[in-house]
Amino acid sequence: MLRTLVYLDADLASSIALRYACQLTQVIDMKLHAVHVEEPDHDGHAPGTGWVRRTWESAMLKTGEFEIAQLIKAEKSSCPMLGAPKMLVGDRENEILREIQRESYDLFVEGSLHSFTAKKLYDKIHSRLYRHIPCPVIVVKNLVNLEKIALIVRDEIESKKLVSMFLKIFSGAKLNLDLIYCEFQEPGKLSSKGKADVNGTLNAFEKILIEQNWHPEDCRKIQGAPEEIGDVLRDYGMVASPLHHSISKKSNWFQLLSHIPSPILIFWQ
Amino acid sequence: MRILVAVDQHPYSAHAVKDVAKLAGNTWADVTLVGVGPKVTDIGQPSNKAGKKHPLTEELRNYRRNFLDHFEKAESPYEKRECNYEFVEVKRGVWEELYVCRGARKDLKILLRSGNPVKEILAQSQEDDSDLIAMGCYKAGDCQWEGAVNLPQKVANSAACSVLVIKEEKKIRKIACCLDQENISQKSVEMINQMVTLYQTELEIVGLTDGTKLKPMVEKNLNAILKYYNARQIKAWIKLVDAVSLASFISQEARRSMMALWMGEHSLLSKMFPRGKVDKLIQGSESSVLLLR
Repeated sequence: MLRTLVYLDADLASSIALRYACQLTQVIDMKLHAVHVEEPDHDGHAPGTGWVRRTWESAMLKTGEFEIAQLIKAEKSSCPMLGAPKMLVGDRENEILREIQRESYDLFVEGSLHSFTAKKLYDKIHSRLYRHIPCPVIVVKNLVNLEKIALIVRDEIESKKLVSMFLKIFSGAKLNLDLIYCEFQEPGKLSSKGKADVNGTLNAFEKILIEQNWHPEDCRKIQGAPEEIGDVLRDYGMVASPLHHSISKKSNWFQLLSHIPSPILIFWQ
Repeated sequence: MRILVAVDQHPYSAHAVKDVAKLAGNTWADVTLVGVGPKVTDIGQPSNKAGKKHPLTEELRNYRRNFLDHFEKAESPYEKRECNYEFVEVKRGVWEELYVCRGARKDLKILLRSGNPVKEILAQSQEDDSDLIAMGCYKAGDCQWEGAVNLPQKVANSAACSVLVIKEEKKIRKIACCLDQENISQKSVEMINQMVTLYQTELEIVGLTDGTKLKPMVEKNLNAILKYYNARQIKAWIKLVDAVSLASFISQEARRSMMALWMGEHSLLSKMFPRGKVDKLIQGSESSVLLLR
């Protein structure tokens, strides 16, 4: 069973992430755990030491606990299986990272609303948490129905590793899968080529997936500008993609990820 | 709901009438079709030396027919059903036998006014207490109307109610509605709902941020609106836009989506597009524009 950690704050992004994560439990054999980190102040420092610090932290946790309990209560109808969240005090990124390492979670889910500018996603991908996270991450940008997922492939070299990461999460899942190969071009020339025109990379991925009993419904190459391809991919309930931490903000690949309004599953390379 | 459709003789008006008929079919709105033309003393007499009657009378009749054609006769809320002579009390103790048609559950008025088109349309909307003024417009460049430059923009600038500018024959892929106010009326939310149904399209709810995050109240509203639309099986996306990027977002999005903007008193949008300046928005948009007031 997949052990998944979902991060919760008392905000809309978390509310959406929680509802989406609960949808995931319907199609993937997974157990959902929730965590919330109460940050002492903007610098991450708590006042005082000893009793003063403990009393102060406990008061902070109580406030946080109340807000998160309200959020979970509001989503209870769509997510009845979620237990009490783990409440931590400290620096948000450090605490989440420690929690993931301590409990060896297989997947991390958090909400981050889709943004017109790419900065928010870029900062997230280059954050300390994402640079050191040992498991794949789902960034939930919007609440969508999880009926069909797209696996974006880049080159043949990474195919085996990517497919094995994909299978680790989706083994036994009842979902429709499309394999997508993206070729970036100038805006205004969007086109999609079906199976007959696919290149070697798609064939290689399809072959490995079929060997593992996964039969992609569609394999296609999409040509276009990142924003155009991102718009096409909005029809999917999830877009899974490999990603290097060193990705630059101006790269087409990053621009594509930032333009996809659906939740994205990031497999770190 | 009362909708005022301002029309002239161009194809975009026929398109607007068609869209409003669909909208009225969903909302059972009272509808007024108004045309504004040159001054005439007798509508039945030729209005010029060439012997032509008032140019809009025939068009208005056609628009009425097109509007009513949208409905099945038996189910139409605008269909007059029975016409009979009936005695009606016209003043206390005085009864007059009048030819009365009963059965129309909703009002469809066809009006011809003369004078300045902008003033007449606005005056009619005030007289009707309209909730929405709908007008057609060419999709590219400025909205040229018969004898009046940028009429839709001028009406949109000055109207007290919501205004829908329907760009001719443009397929709407998505409705992007910008939200930065703390108080969004149920009426506005319903109006968006109707537009989504009318155009069978997706909805993108745009939340304006101060660069980092949404105002708590706006975030709460976004959540409530999202739940409202989800409960109605309407696919709604959320997108955050920084206030500093709003202008570039709108110019980019207006090329492919219908823009719906809440122009409330405290709205950043109303600061960005104050009365008198929404013409830029309408002019720059290739798709229809809905201004919610």
